[in-house]
Amino acid sequence: MLVSLSAGAAVSSPAQSQNAPPRVAAIDWTLVETLLSLGVVPVAAAQIKDYQTWVGEPSLPEQVVDIGLRAQPNRELAASLQLDLILISPLFSAIEPTFSQIAPVQTLTTYNPDKDFWQNLVETTRRVGELTDRSSEAEAVIDQHRARIEQLKGKIPADTPPLLVVQFIDDRHVRAYGKGSLYDMVISRLGLQNAWQGETNMWGYTTVGIEELTTDGYLIVVDPVPMSAEGVFDNNRLWRALPAVRHDRVLSLPAVWSFGALPSAVRFAGELYQAVTDHTGTESGLGTL
Amino acid sequence: MISILRRSTPAYICLPLLIICALLSFNVLRQTLPELGSGALDFSAAPEAGVMSAIVLQFSVLPRMAIALLVGAALGLAGVLMQQVLRNPIASPTTLGVASGAQLGLLLATLFAPGLLAFGGEWVALAGGAISLLIVLSLSWHRGLAPVAVVLAGLVVNLYIGALSTVLILFHQEEFRGLMIWAAGSLAQNSWDDTLHLLPRLIIAAVIAGLIARPLGLLELDESSARSLGISVRKLRLMSLGLSVFITASAVSLVGVVGFVGLAAPVIVRLMGARTLTQRLLWAPVFGGLLLLTTDLFLLQYSARLPSMVPTGAMTGLLGAPLLLWLIPRLSLKGASANAGNMTLQSARVPVSRKFLLLSVLLLISTVAALFVTQSPGGWLFNDTAQWASIANWRLPRVLAAAGAGILLALAGATIQRMTGNPMASPEVLGISSGTAIGLIVTIYFSTHVTVPMLILAGSLSAVITLAVLILLNRRTGFQSERLLLTGIAIAALFDPLRSIFLANGDPRIQQVIAWMSGSTYYVDFPTGLGALLFAVMMVVLIPLVARWLDLLPLGRNVALGLGLSVNKVRLVLLGLVAILTAFATLIVGPLSFAGLLAPHVARMLGFSRALPHLAGSAMVGALLMITADWLGRQVLFPQEIPAGLVAALLGGAYFMWGLRKY
Repeated sequence: MLVSLSAGAAVSSPAQSQNAPPRVAAIDWTLVETLLSLGVVPVAAAQIKDYQTWVGEPSLPEQVVDIGLRAQPNRELAASLQLDLILISPLFSAIEPTFSQIAPVQTLTTYNPDKDFWQNLVETTRRVGELTDRSSEAEAVIDQHRARIEQLKGKIPADTPPLLVVQFIDDRHVRAYGKGSLYDMVISRLGLQNAWQGETNMWGYTTVGIEELTTDGYLIVVDPVPMSAEGVFDNNRLWRALPAVRHDRVLSLPAVWSFGALPSAVRFAGELYQAVTDHTGTESGLGTL
Repeated sequence: MISILRRSTPAYICLPLLIICALLSFNVLRQTLPELGSGALDFSAAPEAGVMSAIVLQFSVLPRMAIALLVGAALGLAGVLMQQVLRNPIASPTTLGVASGAQLGLLLATLFAPGLLAFGGEWVALAGGAISLLIVLSLSWHRGLAPVAVVLAGLVVNLYIGALSTVLILFHQEEFRGLMIWAAGSLAQNSWDDTLHLLPRLIIAAVIAGLIARPLGLLELDESSARSLGISVRKLRLMSLGLSVFITASAVSLVGVVGFVGLAAPVIVRLMGARTLTQRLLWAPVFGGLLLLTTDLFLLQYSARLPSMVPTGAMTGLLGAPLLLWLIPRLSLKGASANAGNMTLQSARVPVSRKFLLLSVLLLISTVAALFVTQSPGGWLFNDTAQWASIANWRLPRVLAAAGAGILLALAGATIQRMTGNPMASPEVLGISSGTAIGLIVTIYFSTHVTVPMLILAGSLSAVITLAVLILLNRRTGFQSERLLLTGIAIAALFDPLRSIFLANGDPRIQQVIAWMSGSTYYVDFPTGLGALLFAVMMVVLIPLVARWLDLLPLGRNVALGLGLSVNKVRLVLLGLVAILTAFATLIVGPLSFAGLLAPHVARMLGFSRALPHLAGSAMVGALLMITADWLGRQVLFPQEIPAGLVAALLGGAYFMWGLRKY
């Protein structure tokens, strides 16, 4: 069977499944993403406009109802949607008591520093699959994503230098992603090395100044870069002195939700592979010139 | 005024600070350039690493040290000028709301008019800072710009700005990532641009300050003798204030709000013996610069071990609050409360019963609207009683809670205003709301699964602690109203930097904190809502017990004593009462509602002046305000909800600032 990982295909493929999907609302964006990967379009989601900006892929179909802020979704609206299930993450557990009057609420923990990150994502996917009668789809999705990562791991050179993944916050600060982050997990699953070995918070990142980005390997800048930071790349002496910049090893990646689920992980792996191979391609190209 | 040592000079404190700075800098330099330790700078050994660390030194460490010195000096200078012009020992860019005004200006410009920033952020900051200073001064104008009145007005403006920026953050969370770090006062640098920007401005400001130092020094004597020497006092004051706002705005636009250096530097050099204005103008910038540099070097040294970032500006803010607490008992505040009583003494000529009737009707209308009128995806709806089950389930608890919180805050506010004889006093100003908020933030930060009972426990506990601090610090002075308010301001000042640190780290839990901080009735269930209202009604019933005290206290300490009131004990009891009321209300609608400030004012404007009708009227106005705010908040941005506390703050705050010109 030909496996396609594009979001559109994933959304439409389980249409032939026999029983009607339950009416689900997902408050957390990670769970929205997981639902979509299983082919379940949620009836309602929170902060849809921001989801489109920050998560982007897979995109939400038009008919999904926006129920307001993630921390305070609109209860009356939710009650009027005849929901069968509400999915939340522990971050928003304060809404559980009242929302359980509307429909059964399930709290899914994706960020659990004590366990293996990939396993957490797999379990979240599996659990969402169980709750929405999509267990077989969930297993298929898990296998697809695992296979895709394995495939990329086989293709990406094992001697790729260490990677330091950052997101710019402003012209002076970046978030560096280390242990406990989605990016770090993907990097190690691809058999590569994360150059950021410093302390990180519960979500696997830390905020530092750009002078700390002294890796000899690749510096990966994940979009979006805020307007205020754009000047840094052109004329900042400190930035230009960074080893990665001097050796032309800065790679720019399109936005991938840094707190995402399996689809985000695989998308990041794909983008990373693409960027690294493009780069080594041009480098070796230059070498033969 | 105040001085510890007779013959000391500020050099005694600047010198040790300089030595500490030198030691810390040496340490930082050694960490940056490990090669230093092994003797010479040997680039040949590891050229790569050597070049990089040299560049880090040149474009990150050194400019950071330079900007710390300059910003500290700028704020110190601004502080001296403000304190001199207003003859107010606790005036500073932060206490007068200039820094936060400048910051709000920049936040608004970034979100809604980025084009403006092309002209230079400092002009936007200057406008913001100037506007908020104008508001502060006009709010305290009728109290003769008395130090406490000015600083209270500053706090109210700061709180209002805090509420405004909370709304902005609530609805633009992801966009605010970067802004929040800047807002918290991070001194991180990666070029010399900021230093080269600030240095010439600071030099010009210093020169101007030097030129007006002599006439400005004469202001210390008194206005008439200054005028007799041929000085246009008004022009001089305007110019100095303008200058200090300009310096503050320049600094804020570069590194965000750096708390309390502008207050601490002038005060400490004065304590250390800088008696004349010229001495203070000279020493305060020196001390301010060294103070900020020391703080920053400490953070630089130890922050690497923390997983979260602690911006320097927020840190100085945290350090500044204890300083303010220490300073308060040492301030002479004579004359500040001279006309405190006059506001409560007009007798009511208006038929009060008709006003009560009007309020009851309005209350009824707003309750009906809040329960039955709503927006839906299809448009506006008037639900009839057929949907009562759903209304009772979703809307009733919120209406009950809003009414309860409004009443509690209004009673607390009316009590504290009558007790202190100060129209700017409110539960927020006493710091109890902030104390409760600090407790809740810490709880949310340190626990993975936040539950409502846990929040209630933490909130009540921190309210009690705050109250204990208030009582402990004011026991000796007999709960004198001005000092009480200043203690509250210092406690409230702790809250801002904590919030900034939390925001700067962009922790995903922030949504939860902001949502609660902005004061929503969202999390209230039926028993809580009913409980809140019942408790509030019970308190209203108990008003007659304290009405006599509250009629007598505004007459002044001596009159009250003469009439057989044991003033200290009464104040202690009332203070405890206010704390309980505030803590309950804060748990329901958050720390920023302003209902406690506004409701008593509106009640007074309606003509309720004796204690009993004033408190009862305030309670009704409070309930009306919060029910209306809650309803509006649920409808305006449907399906997103604006928290009731914020709506009340925005609506009421604007009305309040308008109405207060009369006082």
